[in-house]
Amino acid sequence: MRWLASIGRRIRGNPTALAGTIVMGVLVVLIVVGPWLIPYSPTRMNYSNLLKPPSLAHPFGTDSFGRDVFVRVLYGARVSLFCSLTGILLAAVIGTLMGLLAGYFGRVYEATLMRLADLLFAFPSFVLALFLMFVFGFGVLNVVLAIGLVYLPGFARLARNMTLLVKEEAYVQAAKVSGQTPFRIMTREILPNIAPPLIVRLSLGFAFGVVIEAGLSFLGLGVQPPTPSLGLIMSDAKEYFQRAPWVLTLTGLGISVILLGLNLLGDGLRDMMDPRLRRREEA
Amino acid sequence: MLQFLRYLGQRVGGAIATVFAGAIAVFLIMKAAPGDPAMFVLGDFATQQSIAAFRARHSLDQPVLTQLWLWLETVLAGNLGESVSLYAGRDIAQLIGQRMPSTAFLGIYALLLALVSSLVLGTVAALQRGRTADAAVTLFAVVGISMPDFWLGYVLVLAFALTLGWLPAYGFTPPGESLTGALVTGLLPALAIAAPLAAVFSRILRVSLLETVERDYVTAARSMGYNEAFIFINYVLRNALIPFVTIVGLQVRYLLGGVVVIERIFGVPGIGSLMVDAAFARDYAVVQACALTFLVIVLTVNLIVDLVCVLLDPRRSH
Repeated sequence: MRWLASIGRRIRGNPTALAGTIVMGVLVVLIVVGPWLIPYSPTRMNYSNLLKPPSLAHPFGTDSFGRDVFVRVLYGARVSLFCSLTGILLAAVIGTLMGLLAGYFGRVYEATLMRLADLLFAFPSFVLALFLMFVFGFGVLNVVLAIGLVYLPGFARLARNMTLLVKEEAYVQAAKVSGQTPFRIMTREILPNIAPPLIVRLSLGFAFGVVIEAGLSFLGLGVQPPTPSLGLIMSDAKEYFQRAPWVLTLTGLGISVILLGLNLLGDGLRDMMDPRLRRREEA
Repeated sequence: MLQFLRYLGQRVGGAIATVFAGAIAVFLIMKAAPGDPAMFVLGDFATQQSIAAFRARHSLDQPVLTQLWLWLETVLAGNLGESVSLYAGRDIAQLIGQRMPSTAFLGIYALLLALVSSLVLGTVAALQRGRTADAAVTLFAVVGISMPDFWLGYVLVLAFALTLGWLPAYGFTPPGESLTGALVTGLLPALAIAAPLAAVFSRILRVSLLETVERDYVTAARSMGYNEAFIFINYVLRNALIPFVTIVGLQVRYLLGGVVVIERIFGVPGIGSLMVDAAFARDYAVVQACALTFLVIVLTVNLIVDLVCVLLDPRRSH
């Protein structure tokens, strides 16, 4: 609890992080609780209420099946955030492990791994995601997999570089001399010390994951109907964009607000964890 | 000069090696796909004969290592194999060659828009540090990176095409046909790609400028009595541009990702829309060639960025 309180204090002291936390807090409450409070179904069609512009009853209007767009965006945000968060966590866990091992043990394993990471890193991330979706097929799980694979090399590289830096520190050498096992050294000594930049990358990557999901589903190569995701709602809406531009525009605005919250949070975290960077930004 | 040439040679050699490693990686990922590629292309109702004929025609009946070698041979020869369904039988390199000018034009157009606006915004923010203009640029930077480019594309279409009617909503004139046409029809797609990039760039430039202003050599120049504009251009800007150019180079990967979706939205006949069309037509040969082409573009840009950095800071080639 003291740990939580200390984080709370630090967030309050950092306007960027505070703004990000508020935006994300409101969004999470909306996404989790919202669908229960709104009396509309995200899937039931209502042919007497097609393509209505935004109003008090339907803040985002209705779509070509007469469904309330706002409630669909809330459900879609659940799917999009799930895809991005799972994918990025997958990349973070496996990538950190690979980078940690490479940095700690070095030699052939390190050389091979880093070559591979550099190679994957050279592909534009969206092109790589699209390519992976094509190879492994469309759908929610493969979107998660594609986001994970796209971000894996970044985490592996960062973890390896940080491990190389930390490995030479006195406390790691001391742990080695005192006969601790490599596993214990890596988890107890190195990991806590390389965690901050990885966490920052995680929060910023979370935002890009949402963009990748939205882009893939928007093209029709990502999440498939009937699962609503933000990209998919926009993909449907582009068919009748001229008649009812609000469906696509407001759904995209929803994505923007999510990204704004995540970016503010990520920037704030970076400032909090790296005082050197903060001084540079303020300079 | 000799040192520079040696550096150049090393970098080009490295890039070529990466292209071949990339070609192998793309091939191996493709082979990891579940199911038979012939069935995938022809569909579940294809006859035995047509499947056998397809497999023979596209060497799918050969051992995997032979197939890999054949693919690398087409990469080496530069024709990248032939399309299997979208433009069945056509040379893929030819298809990509036709579409390269549109993609290159759009990418460079967007990059230039982003660079010019960020040079202005970043410089203004740094000079007006702590004042309203600075705050406005920072706000733009935060909002700018939070707008997905394809959404911005539609917002621009709604504003400038559907409401105001100033620019076309859809369609693109390739630069080969008419340069003015390409500049006009390409403006909205280029803006959609450029805005988030400009946000990132201006923020980086601002920080980089503010760091450079405090350096000793700037103080030294000031003590020699040079005028402020001269100091800013020759001492501050030139040195601040080095980290800036590096970041710009890294962002090209992001820019190319945006190009894929934007090309599709605006009907630009480029490599991105070719890749998406091929994905829908299940044309694995075109998809893998497009992925490789994007890798080549990234590597080429990285090479150019490195060379620009060496020109800005000759110590780098040592």
